[in-house]
Amino acid sequence: MSEVATGYNFAYLDEQSKRMIRRALLKAVAIPGFQVPFGGREMPLPHGWGTGGMQVTASVIGQQDTLKVIDQGADDTTNAVSIRRFFARTAGVATTEETAAADLIQTRHRIPETPLRNGQILIYQVPTPEPLRFIEPRDSETIKMHALREYGAMQVKLYEDVARFGHIATSYDYPVMVNRRYMMSPSPIPKFDNPKMDRMPALQLFGAGFEKRIYAVPPYTQVTSLDFDDHPFEVQSWEESCAICAAQDSFLDEVITDDAGSRMFVCSDTDYCRQRVAQQEANP
Amino acid sequence: MSVSSELLVAGFNDAVHDGQQVFRALLTAMSEPGKLQQPNLIAEGPGALNANSWQVALALLDADTPVWLSERLAADAAISSNLRFHCQSPQVDSPQHAAFALCDASDVPDITLLNMGSAEQPDRSTTLIVQVPAISNEPHWTLTGPGIATERQLRIGGLSSTFVEQLIASRQRFPMGIDCIFCSADTLVAVPRSTQIDINMGGR
Repeated sequence: MSEVATGYNFAYLDEQSKRMIRRALLKAVAIPGFQVPFGGREMPLPHGWGTGGMQVTASVIGQQDTLKVIDQGADDTTNAVSIRRFFARTAGVATTEETAAADLIQTRHRIPETPLRNGQILIYQVPTPEPLRFIEPRDSETIKMHALREYGAMQVKLYEDVARFGHIATSYDYPVMVNRRYMMSPSPIPKFDNPKMDRMPALQLFGAGFEKRIYAVPPYTQVTSLDFDDHPFEVQSWEESCAICAAQDSFLDEVITDDAGSRMFVCSDTDYCRQRVAQQEANP
Repeated sequence: MSVSSELLVAGFNDAVHDGQQVFRALLTAMSEPGKLQQPNLIAEGPGALNANSWQVALALLDADTPVWLSERLAADAAISSNLRFHCQSPQVDSPQHAAFALCDASDVPDITLLNMGSAEQPDRSTTLIVQVPAISNEPHWTLTGPGIATERQLRIGGLSSTFVEQLIASRQRFPMGIDCIFCSADTLVAVPRSTQIDINMGGR
């Protein structure tokens, strides 16, 4: 489909930049959940389109790797298609839409429904890496809060939800504790995906291009969502099932189908939905 | 301080792809402590440095990373010449100022002299690359922590008991600490600061 572009280094970034990012990645996996600053480079698309994730992918990817890119679970949305094509052209790597066939998966705001295996790497695009940002805007303070493990303010924020709504209303970018030490933003994934991060066999890397931070969760690392004894962490559930594949266990998107208020619910993970449909057609 | 050209050895055949493969081995090693990696992309190292330590240096070091060499490695003109020529790394006299410290198992530094970072910036620590005679998964150390499903066994040859005691004691200072990359002739393994080390009393 797309030819390999000439005139660029493998995977676009120059080797010096890759080494700098690689050193930051090694520090990030050694201190799970800690945000390592790095010298973010300009990428040929705007901040907010996944430049952090792309810089991590460019530094990690090799010729033998197969890449999958998803945006809100879908392989066929603009952001996912553009980034997949970018690496197909600048690195000449194989790409796939199948979760199980991918070595690297760059994601914006979802974790695939198909469980990931050891050896795979999940690379998140992160807009706001600092979980405490909307509580404390000053970096000088949040850095101290992380150093002192001073996370009471986040419990207060969640408690304000309970006081106002009767339950924890935070539904995405739901804060987690990594290995009982660092509070971490899981990026704006729905809290439905939070339990998948806990002791995941795959390596999870996070890249924030705008704020120039990298952080990581090694395989089999404990990741717990914040909660209270009397208001335990809960994920979203739906009364509906997927209109295409009838899945009841996947994260569903609500799609408006006309002006009269008709709507349907479909899997957000397009690969998972397609696999289920193929399976049903094979065994009717 | 100068580079002697007759002491130079080869770098990577393919700096881009060989460097990437060594890094991926290091990423797996650092994210799954105790898991042995064998990238072996280079035939020989300079002077007393083995090929494995040399490929790690080529993959990670450059002009932005001050490097400290242990006494024995610093005395070897081939090592400092090649580090200058291939990596352009500034060589510093104090391990406190080094991004990377390179040493032999027989010549490890006092860990407390290395930079462990600060509570606010634990990532500013020195990464220690240690050339060792042997690495295996025979039971000697039991490793637990992030990156390890239950526990993993590791035996690293040639380390002094003082060094191991200092390494274990440094766990108290997490998130500050030292991440170690151990390189035998053909195998590398990492033990980051997040890994707990228990010495098996049954073993020697």
